[in-house]
Amino acid sequence: MADTRYLALGDVVADELFPDLDLALRRGRHIDREDTLWYTFLVDAQALLEAFYRRFGCELIHPADGYFYLLPTGDKLGRRHLSVPEMLVGQALTLLYLDPATLQSGGVIKRADALSHLAAVMGSDALTRAFNPKRKRVDERVAQETVRGKFVEALRRLAALGFVDLVDADALRLRPGLLRFAEPVRGRGSPAEALERLVARGELVLGDGELGSDEDGEEDDDESSEQDEPTPTAPEPFQLPNEVLSEFGDFGEDMPPPERVPESSPDAPRDTPRGEPSATPEDEA
Amino acid sequence: MTDPAKDPRIVLAALARTHPVLELGTLELCFLAALHLRAEGAALSAFDEEKLSEVFEQVCALLEPRAEAVKRRATHAIQRLRDQKLLARVDGAGVLRAGEFALTRLAASIVESYLEDESLTRENLTQLTRSLRASLAEILTRAREAQAEADWKNGVEAPLRVSVSDLVSGIERRQRSLDLEQQAFQAQIAKLLESDWFGAVDQCLELLESTSQTLTELNDILLRDAHELSSVLQDIQEVTVNAQAEGAEAAVERVMEQVDRIRAWGAARQRAWSEYYQYVHRYLCDVVRLDPSRALIQRLREQLSQHTSRPFALSVAAAASPRLLREIAPFKDDKPKVSRPRAERERPPSDTDAVDQHAIVEALVQGVLSRGSDGLCDVTQQVNAETPSELRFVTAGRVAQVVARLARTTIDRDRPWVSVNDGLVIEEWKIAKGGARG
Repeated sequence: MADTRYLALGDVVADELFPDLDLALRRGRHIDREDTLWYTFLVDAQALLEAFYRRFGCELIHPADGYFYLLPTGDKLGRRHLSVPEMLVGQALTLLYLDPATLQSGGVIKRADALSHLAAVMGSDALTRAFNPKRKRVDERVAQETVRGKFVEALRRLAALGFVDLVDADALRLRPGLLRFAEPVRGRGSPAEALERLVARGELVLGDGELGSDEDGEEDDDESSEQDEPTPTAPEPFQLPNEVLSEFGDFGEDMPPPERVPESSPDAPRDTPRGEPSATPEDEA
Repeated sequence: MTDPAKDPRIVLAALARTHPVLELGTLELCFLAALHLRAEGAALSAFDEEKLSEVFEQVCALLEPRAEAVKRRATHAIQRLRDQKLLARVDGAGVLRAGEFALTRLAASIVESYLEDESLTRENLTQLTRSLRASLAEILTRAREAQAEADWKNGVEAPLRVSVSDLVSGIERRQRSLDLEQQAFQAQIAKLLESDWFGAVDQCLELLESTSQTLTELNDILLRDAHELSSVLQDIQEVTVNAQAEGAEAAVERVMEQVDRIRAWGAARQRAWSEYYQYVHRYLCDVVRLDPSRALIQRLREQLSQHTSRPFALSVAAAASPRLLREIAPFKDDKPKVSRPRAERERPPSDTDAVDQHAIVEALVQGVLSRGSDGLCDVTQQVNAETPSELRFVTAGRVAQVVARLARTTIDRDRPWVSVNDGLVIEEWKIAKGGARG
């Protein structure tokens, strides 16, 4: 605590950086050295903030790779698990982060390169199946479109979590937080043991996380819904509210019912009042 | 107004009209370079045909030792270079004797850009800025003493356009060269790590440090000297503005823009390099040093390829955003309510006096006939005179009907058509005197 400029938690909370940083951490953002002010603040206030966040049932984690994040260990703070597309894209980006070739561009890569790298490692078919888990009959064009759409959505979500920066429509910058995706394979032990250890720490869960963008209300195409989902019940018939119907309560009141035309023989002359339409031969027929 | 000589559309159109093409292979480039080096080494201003062939053969022997028909290839190569205006005949003797050839300015520039090491260094930048400062100080003195237009042109404008501009361009050229060097250097770091992962760390750090130092030094010199240069240029500009020497003023502005560009380059490169430096440093510390055997990439690749069979998902905090109730303004219902009109839509008929036009016309015709009239045209004219213009056509017809009924008319074999008022033309009937029907 000797090096810190904060002596008490009150000093930390009173800092003007705290509100935004606190919100960002609670929303799952990973803070690294590129967030210069926030990172320095966290390093300075780390001891105080660790105790502070522990009271909310979460840990302020600071791995040796140089980034911070908040890990919920209880139920007081909301948590979510990354979706399958986020996990796959995150791991592909981590591979690129580790690749020395990326150094040449200072960690900036093209989005298309990231997707092609993911497809190369997983295989196009496996990637398509992973991104279209509900579909049994897969139209290639639609499935590929879905892959691209979910890839972009995953990138957007990973950027919100501080794993990447979206530089422009075409490029993105990789950030150290990505190394979290490599945690299960970093130790010397087997990946299974590492996974168990990480699960015990609450760092990850086994199995698929969220179902991806489907949860946000985005619907799969009609092919999947035809087979996998129960037939939707027919919607209730639309009915106008009573207030509206009352406006038409007197509808037709003043109109006398039409007089019945007396039946007569076709030969008998008609006494049709002027202005009223006479019966046509078709009517009679 | 844009100077037509600098308008890109005009310049490009003029360039396109000449159909310029440059197609140079390695052999031809080396041939040009050999000529350039030979000319410099032996202080030659031109080469005769024999010497050209000799140089080509030497280059060919070096690059393509098994080449055949070298003489013929030399002839073709020389012709191609002449066609592309890289080699020019300079003796002007025509067919009288064998020609003498020299490299053109274009060829010299191409060769120099390949041969010369023009990277920006502390030494050459200091030298260039020093020369620039001296030239500008001299120009400022001349500008203060200039009286006639020729003084401005020769003493200020021309040196600014030629010598000063060339010096600044020299710095810019070296900056571009340094940019290329840095790109190559970044590629080199990537290649070093690719080939010798952990063993390359120290070498990479060394490269990073040396380049950082070079850039910092250059930026310091640029910041300091560019400030001084700008200050002298502003003094010159002030003098030119006061003297209303427009040509000199434009030349000063151009040099000022160049100096600003040089300064901006320094700052931008420093910033970009700083980001790159930090990124590589982090990479070396976090990735290379923590994974000396380089097993991580392979293990991660396996993890990714098997993710669908052994899935897992990272946990992240996801506190919901605080729910803020928004203030709702009371709803103002200004719009009229939708309702059915209660009033009777059909109005009852009202009594109005009908105007019987037929009766009016008949009365008028009777009046005219009683006063005595000799023909239909006369009657029509008189009746129409008392009728609104829009009704005259209709009235003419009614008049004819009434006349036929009230009077005895006679009709000749040739029934003439006579014009009455408002352009109406009617058939003339004669009315018998006292011809009113009983």
